[in-house]
Amino acid sequence: MVTKDDLKVYAAKLMFDMDDEGYDRTLKEFETIEKHMEIIGKFDGIENVEPCVFPYVIYHADYREDIANNTLTNEEVLKNAHDTKANQIKVPKVVE
Amino acid sequence: MYNVTIGLEVHCEINTNSKNFSWAKNSYSEYPNENIDTVDLGFPGVLPVLNKEAFRKSLMMALALNCKTPDVVMFDRKNYYYPDLPKGYQITQMTKPVGIDGYVMINVDGKDIKVGIHDIHLEEDTASMEHFSDYSLLDYNRAGVPLLETVTTPSLHSADEAITFLETLKGIFLYTGVSEARTDRGEMRVDVNISLSKDDTLGTRTEMKNINSFNNVRLAIESEIKRQTEILDSGKIVEQETRRFDEKQLKTYLMRSKADAIDYKYYIEPNIPPIKISDEYINSIKKEIPMLQFDRVNKYMNELGLSRYDAEILVHDKQISDYFERVISMGVDAKSASNWITTTVMGYLNKENKKISDICLKEEYLVELIKLVQDGKISSKQSKQIFEHVVTENKRPKDLVKSLGMTQITDENVIRPIVIKLLDDYPNLIEDHKKGKNTFDFFVGQVMKQTRGQANPSITANIIKEEIEKR
Amino acid sequence: MKSIMDLRNDLDNNKTTHTDLFNEAILKAHKYQDEFNSFVTIMDNMYYTKSDTLIDGIPYALKDNFSTKGILTTASSNILKDYIPVYDATVYKKLKDAGAVLVGKTVLDELAMGGTGTTGHTGSVKNPWDPSRQIGGSSSGSAASVALGIVPFSIGSDTGDSIRKPAAFGGVVGFKPTYGRISRYGLFAFASSLDHVGVFARNVKDTAIVTDIIKGKDERDMTSLPDENINYVDNLDNDIKGKKLFYIKEVVDLNLYKDAGEETISVLNKFYETVEKCKKLGFEVDEVSVDEKLLKAIYPSYMTISCAEATSNNSNLTGIIFGPRGEGKNINEIMFDARTKGFSELIKRRFIQGSYILQRENQERLFKNAQRLRRIIVDKMNEFYEKYDAMILPASGGIAPKFDSEIDRMSDRYLILENHMAIANFGGFPSITIPNGMVNNMPIGLNITGACFKDSLTLNIANKIEEELGYKNLIKEEYDV
Repeated sequence: MVTKDDLKVYAAKLMFDMDDEGYDRTLKEFETIEKHMEIIGKFDGIENVEPCVFPYVIYHADYREDIANNTLTNEEVLKNAHDTKANQIKVPKVVE
Repeated sequence: MYNVTIGLEVHCEINTNSKNFSWAKNSYSEYPNENIDTVDLGFPGVLPVLNKEAFRKSLMMALALNCKTPDVVMFDRKNYYYPDLPKGYQITQMTKPVGIDGYVMINVDGKDIKVGIHDIHLEEDTASMEHFSDYSLLDYNRAGVPLLETVTTPSLHSADEAITFLETLKGIFLYTGVSEARTDRGEMRVDVNISLSKDDTLGTRTEMKNINSFNNVRLAIESEIKRQTEILDSGKIVEQETRRFDEKQLKTYLMRSKADAIDYKYYIEPNIPPIKISDEYINSIKKEIPMLQFDRVNKYMNELGLSRYDAEILVHDKQISDYFERVISMGVDAKSASNWITTTVMGYLNKENKKISDICLKEEYLVELIKLVQDGKISSKQSKQIFEHVVTENKRPKDLVKSLGMTQITDENVIRPIVIKLLDDYPNLIEDHKKGKNTFDFFVGQVMKQTRGQANPSITANIIKEEIEKR
Repeated sequence: MKSIMDLRNDLDNNKTTHTDLFNEAILKAHKYQDEFNSFVTIMDNMYYTKSDTLIDGIPYALKDNFSTKGILTTASSNILKDYIPVYDATVYKKLKDAGAVLVGKTVLDELAMGGTGTTGHTGSVKNPWDPSRQIGGSSSGSAASVALGIVPFSIGSDTGDSIRKPAAFGGVVGFKPTYGRISRYGLFAFASSLDHVGVFARNVKDTAIVTDIIKGKDERDMTSLPDENINYVDNLDNDIKGKKLFYIKEVVDLNLYKDAGEETISVLNKFYETVEKCKKLGFEVDEVSVDEKLLKAIYPSYMTISCAEATSNNSNLTGIIFGPRGEGKNINEIMFDARTKGFSELIKRRFIQGSYILQRENQERLFKNAQRLRRIIVDKMNEFYEKYDAMILPASGGIAPKFDSEIDRMSDRYLILENHMAIANFGGFPSITIPNGMVNNMPIGLNITGACFKDSLTLNIANKIEEELGYKNLIKEEYDV
């Protein structure tokens, strides 16, 4: 069974944290997930069904012609970044 | 001694006009953040649109590596957070990659080896980062460039085999035109998996990521074999982990242990509908794949009688190999053509740092030149001079022979009087010759000088010999 | 504000101008903003390009999760509170090119993940019919702005029922066509395999007019459908005699709701009245039966798939290229800080669930089983569509809920009745909600869901039923008079 500490690890891997009560509420919701899965798991032979990824599949393979077009200017690239330098986005040192 | 088993994962950028899932230009640029489309930055709301040419080239590579191609191709997401990955996931292939279960034949020290290809899949490159003392800069020009990952089975057993495989693979990229595979630009990067064991079972493997030159691959393999050997010799066990190769220290260092392995939470990319691949499409791609290096070497050796050494030199560059094949198709014997190309032609190209396509050396000119020598019309020495003129002036060898007055003098009635006069002028040297001193070359040289190099050397030599003996 | 067709007449007869309409809409938007909170942004300036379409000069509102170049787009989340896109969503571009005039960007549930209209970073959206009640979501402001009469139409997105539920609560029409009919380029992704773009208006004809403008193949969306040469608005009045409708017994059987309140009973009774009216119109209407277990699994499957996809889709929100920059000593810390501060707890909880669902060891049991269930449901529906033209069902089991009484979508009573509209997202079916009258002075909706690619027929059926029901062009302040 998932514990609160597990949830903290999951959150950290998703790059965020929240207060303790948040984890308590998340833990409660996990009971719901289990309830959900109980409902779904009840179907006989479900393991033989092909998972549905797309609403429907039609093969209209219209990929893109290989024609180059730079649609953004350097200014647009950097417009929303809060720190830039030498036409690049500047960030604190990346930990290797 | 332990059995060494190596598997490689080779990332290679595909040579296209635009990126894999966006319109931005796919080209090496010195200006940061100029080859950019909305998709490359992972702005909210953007969707990937697959590049037809990148897709075609990845299938071509799959076929060149003897892979099975699926009826339907799909893409998957590989989820992880890293600053060089704008979307927070990389679009790659897991479920239905462009190729699986292939192989590549390589030749190591004259021995043919079959290297298994587990799969080959199409994905996208990340942004590049430049690190400074207390900050890093992000350039997204590379983000989204089509990247082909070739994964071998654990079927290599030495650094030599690994390097030969990489060179063979690089050759296939170049031959098919799928990539320029330039390691100096980071277009080809290698992950190495390596394990040691006493018997036939596979030992615990370690992985070294992102090695950027073949030489470093060799050094990394050697240092990791050494490290693992020491561990096993001392009775300890090798841990499954990811290690980083330090090219200055020539050592590998721990990056991530197995416990810290990332769960990439792969799942099928919902924004790219499955793509059906028809037999016609596959066949049309197959037709475009030229005969590759391994097969050409065998053909040159077995059918044309060349040495492996010469054959390998010829196939190194596809343009040269193609040139060679065109020349012999025009009626020159393979050995002469090979000699000419591997020495004179390639010597010139190396000296000038040029490619065969950069110089004016029409196949028919080379054929003509070779035949002029074979027919004794010009000397070998003259032919080298003419060659220089051909490649710089783009003129026919026959015309050059005329304009340079290089027609060889083979007429004894012209050469003999010159020899007689010469011997008359230097009686003491004839004496010296008879005493065993080498003055013969002096006489030949003088004849050449007086005929401006046009006298046929062997005829000249014969006449000198005859005339000396008469005296 | 009048309907699109009436405004078209006024514009064509020089009774009004696009500038007048824009100013009128802006005035109304501001007037209602404090009380109902429909907008994140109300436009200061008018951007208008003349065109010769039916919507030329007509004002409209756009959900704040569509990318608009140069205009703040927040997805109602703090993590995008300062984001000014550098590109236009295809839908927005098409509307601009068609001469429509943007009035504002509307409030949604944060990142479109919710159905209450209470989780946006600028506060809750109120129901125009009763401000103590929710309008529903996630396209809350888009529904409210049309229901309030600020604009004759608006654009929303629909992943589970995010257009069709608030349309029902607001007494307006809400339509999402077949998956792929309208490009998703520029729609901030929630769950890509379920996300649809759609339209709010106050009658079916207006809805068809707008859909005709924004549909179509887009080279920037590989899942967009090839163009079809049909104008929906021209086919609204086609004869529907002999067309076959069905409803699912296990959703609306009164016996299942014996202990439910009078409100639910009234909603169901209204539905059955409409069924009779449909028969009178010439439709054949059958009751079909679907395994209740399957229906009960719709919501769990929906939550599982949507949370999983959402976790991945929102991984781009790190504050590096756009969005508020976090604080920290190194880049991991700043990404961490930006996400910790930027997402509300509710969103974080969903992301944790989503990532758990996608974990290697859980995928088979959770994610893939939900996808398998999705297939069973879609196959079942497609079986029905071999025989029938559309499914009709109540859009909700009640009227818009009060702010203090959130419906528990998991409670046994409502598990099916409140969540069945996600079926249309599972299968990409065209689905429309139209007003189905009033219960306790609040509007309720009828949902009509057709087969994939039968958008024209679905609108045609909706138009015929709308005519018969007569609940058209509802605006609260006019309704009261």
